[in-house]
Amino acid sequence: MGNIQTTMTEGLATKIAFTIPVLGGIKVSESVLVNLILSALIIVLVLLATRNLKPDKPGRLQSMLEAMVGFINGFCKENIGRHWRHFAPWIGTITIYLTFANLCGILGLTPPTKDVSITASLAITSVFLIYGSQFRFLGAKGGFKRFAEPIPLLLPINLMEIGIRPLSLCMRLFGNVLGAFIIMELLKAVVPVIVPAAFSLYFDIFDGLIQVIVFVFLTTVFTGEAINEEE
Amino acid sequence: MTVAFAAAIAVFTGIGAGLGISFATGKAAESIARQPEAANNIRNTLLIGCALAEATAIYGFVIALAIIFTK
Repeated sequence: MGNIQTTMTEGLATKIAFTIPVLGGIKVSESVLVNLILSALIIVLVLLATRNLKPDKPGRLQSMLEAMVGFINGFCKENIGRHWRHFAPWIGTITIYLTFANLCGILGLTPPTKDVSITASLAITSVFLIYGSQFRFLGAKGGFKRFAEPIPLLLPINLMEIGIRPLSLCMRLFGNVLGAFIIMELLKAVVPVIVPAAFSLYFDIFDGLIQVIVFVFLTTVFTGEAINEEE
Repeated sequence: MTVAFAAAIAVFTGIGAGLGISFATGKAAESIARQPEAANNIRNTLLIGCALAEATAIYGFVIALAIIFTK
């Protein structure tokens, strides 16, 4: 029983990986280190995959990449409307990053989204995206008027949503990844041999992918709501 | 010991999520049986709805963790 408790306490604390010995020691936490590793991995994979792009005779890899880009473009076009081109690259990048971040548990790294700071920063970028685009595409006055849009009765709820939406995005992603991690640790402590691999299919892979889809879908739909002009 | 009770009560939000998702899955199964061509659409809607409903259960879990580990 004490073993399980130490496992849980270790799983929840964020460990310091190393300290940069400058300006009195800046502590670099483990999630930042894993983020850097994942970014390097993504950059290397992207450079390798887009090496010889041919416009007239695409190979298999290029066709697959074009299908994925087309899918994300179609998704943004459907949910955001006229200005989808401004948002599709960011949505695609967040999808790639979150897929790697949630699934890196099977590579042996601890997922960076297990740290509430990482998910909170992702949620804050989503908030800047949604409300920044609301004011950028509708102008200053139109942006403020949009808060009272369907019925002026909803004005306090729309103002509260500025705080509630990032909180919910952050906690959903954090809670799911942390819960999956804790359950996998407990499973590995009890039955270390074959069972964790089978459960890891559900907890690590399926759950991680669903959370990516939900995060990106919600961000896109909120952005579409904020700037849709054709009523 | 009150910490343990408080954390246990906080996780009761799982009841709402469990019931809600079960009802939604039942309706989804019914509607797929009624119109099998829309199965893909229905499945996507169901998954997104379940992930959103699950979030409320996760909030309870996060609060229980916060209660246990900060007392």
